[in-house]
Amino acid sequence: MVALAVILSDLLFGIMLGCVFAVVAHGLNLIWGVVKVVNIAHGEFIMLGAYGAYFLNVFGGFNPLLSAVVDGALGIFVGYAFYFSFLHRELRGKERITLRSEMVTLVSTFGLSLFMSNLAVVAFTGDFVGINWSPGTVALGFLELPLGALYVTILAVLIISTSVVFLDRTYIGNAIKAYSQDITATQLVGANPTKVASLATALGFSITMAGGALLTVWIPTGINPYMGALYAPISFVIVVLGGPGKMLGSLLGGLTLGVVIDVLQAFVPVSLAYAVAFLLLIPVLLFRPEGIVK
Amino acid sequence: MPTLRTEAVSKEFGGVQALKGVTISLPAGSTLGLIGPNGSGKTTLLNIIAGLEKPTSGAVMLGETRIDHLPANAIVKLGVAKTHQIPRPFAEMTTRENVSVAVMYGRRRIKDTKRSLNEADRLLSLLGMDARRDLPASSLTVQEKKRLELARALATGADVILLDEVFAGLSSDELRDSIQLFRKIRGEVGFSALIVEHVMGAVLTLAERVVVLEEGAKIAEGTPDEVVHNEAVIRAYLGFEENDSPG
Amino acid sequence: MRIAGLGVTFFGLLALMLLLLILPFAFPFSTSVIVINLLFYTALAYSINFITGMTGYVSFGHVVFLGIGAYALGASADVYGLDPVLGVLLGAALGLVFALMIGLVTLRFRGVYFAISTVVIALAALNIVLELPQLGGSQGIILNLGFQPYSWYYTIWGIVLFEMLITYYINRGKLGLGIRAIKSDEDAARSVGVNVSALKLYLFGLSGLFAGAGGAVFAWTTSGVFPYETFSLNFSLQMLAMIIIGGVGTALGPILGAVVVYLPSYYFLTVAIGTQLIIIGFAVVVIALFIPEGIVGTLKRRSASLRELLE
Repeated sequence: MVALAVILSDLLFGIMLGCVFAVVAHGLNLIWGVVKVVNIAHGEFIMLGAYGAYFLNVFGGFNPLLSAVVDGALGIFVGYAFYFSFLHRELRGKERITLRSEMVTLVSTFGLSLFMSNLAVVAFTGDFVGINWSPGTVALGFLELPLGALYVTILAVLIISTSVVFLDRTYIGNAIKAYSQDITATQLVGANPTKVASLATALGFSITMAGGALLTVWIPTGINPYMGALYAPISFVIVVLGGPGKMLGSLLGGLTLGVVIDVLQAFVPVSLAYAVAFLLLIPVLLFRPEGIVK
Repeated sequence: MPTLRTEAVSKEFGGVQALKGVTISLPAGSTLGLIGPNGSGKTTLLNIIAGLEKPTSGAVMLGETRIDHLPANAIVKLGVAKTHQIPRPFAEMTTRENVSVAVMYGRRRIKDTKRSLNEADRLLSLLGMDARRDLPASSLTVQEKKRLELARALATGADVILLDEVFAGLSSDELRDSIQLFRKIRGEVGFSALIVEHVMGAVLTLAERVVVLEEGAKIAEGTPDEVVHNEAVIRAYLGFEENDSPG
Repeated sequence: MRIAGLGVTFFGLLALMLLLLILPFAFPFSTSVIVINLLFYTALAYSINFITGMTGYVSFGHVVFLGIGAYALGASADVYGLDPVLGVLLGAALGLVFALMIGLVTLRFRGVYFAISTVVIALAALNIVLELPQLGGSQGIILNLGFQPYSWYYTIWGIVLFEMLITYYINRGKLGLGIRAIKSDEDAARSVGVNVSALKLYLFGLSGLFAGAGGAVFAWTTSGVFPYETFSLNFSLQMLAMIIIGGVGTALGPILGAVVVYLPSYYFLTVAIGTQLIIIGFAVVVIALFIPEGIVGTLKRRSASLRELLE
């Protein structure tokens, strides 16, 4: 009975961890899937979202859930700015992104990542900070679940499922989907490719920064300028596991990673659990390049 | 110079049968035309011969050697080279550097830079492209890029050349020039040619024998004259492409 | 014409290396220490240039080979009392072996997939080393090799000289032509007979070998191996920044990039390291977006006479 409780609680925490990972990776997934660009500075925008939540808490008394909304709104502007400074030149007038353009965006966003993380050290100092917010726990049979984590889990699932519905059911969502298939097809459905791509990028950034805010609930002491160096690779692995551009893939990839890490921790030291989780990327790329589920 | 054969080659893509047991034979020094409507499997067959795709079943033989399990670069080294339907020059390199790569890495494995450049120049002048040799390949016109494809294939020292729609998209004057050029090159460099075309004109002029594919299966084979009078062929073509009437 | 003889730049670089050979005897010692660091960064820049500069495969996780080299020297000196020069050779050998193993798998992935797989491997390597008590776990290895500036100097000098000569050897002949074809269009290169997979692996191996040797020197000069420091992604980022700023694929680019990236950081020691990285990051963004060929590449394209000179 006790052993069962331990396994169950491991699994539950793994699922909750996976959901946070999923929402953090979801913005990357959207951009990767639609405009076919991998933002190497993805982690730095998560960091920006986390600091957003921190300062909103310090100066405005906001809790992270509320901050996620503010971050998400800010993310729209950041995303448009990013699209027009980093991606527009490479995508404008193209039928599909070339390998050359892919490399240009890879290197330029790498520079951005270096720039942002080090600027953050100057602006916010290298100290670890955290948000003091805990809404208590809820008893679930023999398990005590932290309410904050539960809220985040629910929000993560909500954000991801909303994006699925948005892409499937709305006109602009369909235009975004068309763009992801073929840039010229966007025009066939009567939409302007630049408008569609920039909107998709803006939405991706909105979700990324909101995800950064939600992350602060789970790492109550871990906001720091270099946090992106961990969450970016985690996001890369999740998107590859789920398949770039598959919206539910974020959830699938996140849950896989969360459960693998949490379950492995019962047997091996935590850093080895992370090492295994990271290396999952390699067999998936080798044998299932479209993601673990077809 | 060995004979190239495909033996009952089939290819399946996710449940779709792109090729259904196609057998063709290209004897040394001959010219075989491969025609068929869009989506009939011509390009797939060519890719399988060149080692860019693996057949689901069947075999590709070069003389007595089975080559269908070899990577593309190894097949080039055995003397089989293919041109790209949409030209893929090394854009940042000059025209003669483009050809030099093929001279050095092809079948002849010429290591010396000077010799390879001389050989590249010889081929470029054979193709009437002397004036272009020091220009970056990206600056060539589409027709010149197609010629560069042919120059690179010849430069590998291949004795079997697979030509993927090199005559497509040309005006009638350009087509006449290209056919003449092809004959001239054939006169100077000996090789067998498998000419894949969607437009039948060039193939019927140049090929000694023609194979017709429809929906992945061989529906006819014979001399150009026999093929254009074959009822199955007429039906296949009229059914798909009214503008490309034979001849 | 790119396939040409050895030009002014080659002899210029050779003269520079000869000058550096006698430098420790001609100048006060503090100068040599600066040059040791400069040569260390130059060695790293040439190392990543073999793969990223020449083929366009962006190796974000290149630090993994530096870390392996550092631990090779650290563990062999600590446990077996191996001579550090042999430790450097061991670092190079292990860098090569790991690069071949990792490359065999990851070089199948194109574009971003290769790039992110290297990041992930570097992070995994750090996490694995942290749990290896034989390598000191999270504490690392503290070495007591003493202050051996002349040995450091000539070892790193030798590594850079080798890298330069090999870079020239590759760029000049058949290899260089094939590699440029791969960088331009991998499939088309294969279709004219270039053994793409073997050439990529060869370059990745070279690149791992020299990063491993560089890492071993790093452990030797800092008299210790500390996991978070030796596997710091910042090294990867600086390596990349150097060749992007200097100009990818060229023989002059890496040393120029190393000078541009390293020397300011030495002269502005009073300014926080973060500020320098902010500037470097900004420079990388601007160069990637507006002058993707870097300093050397742009100069070559702008002027035909410079192009001859810069070969």
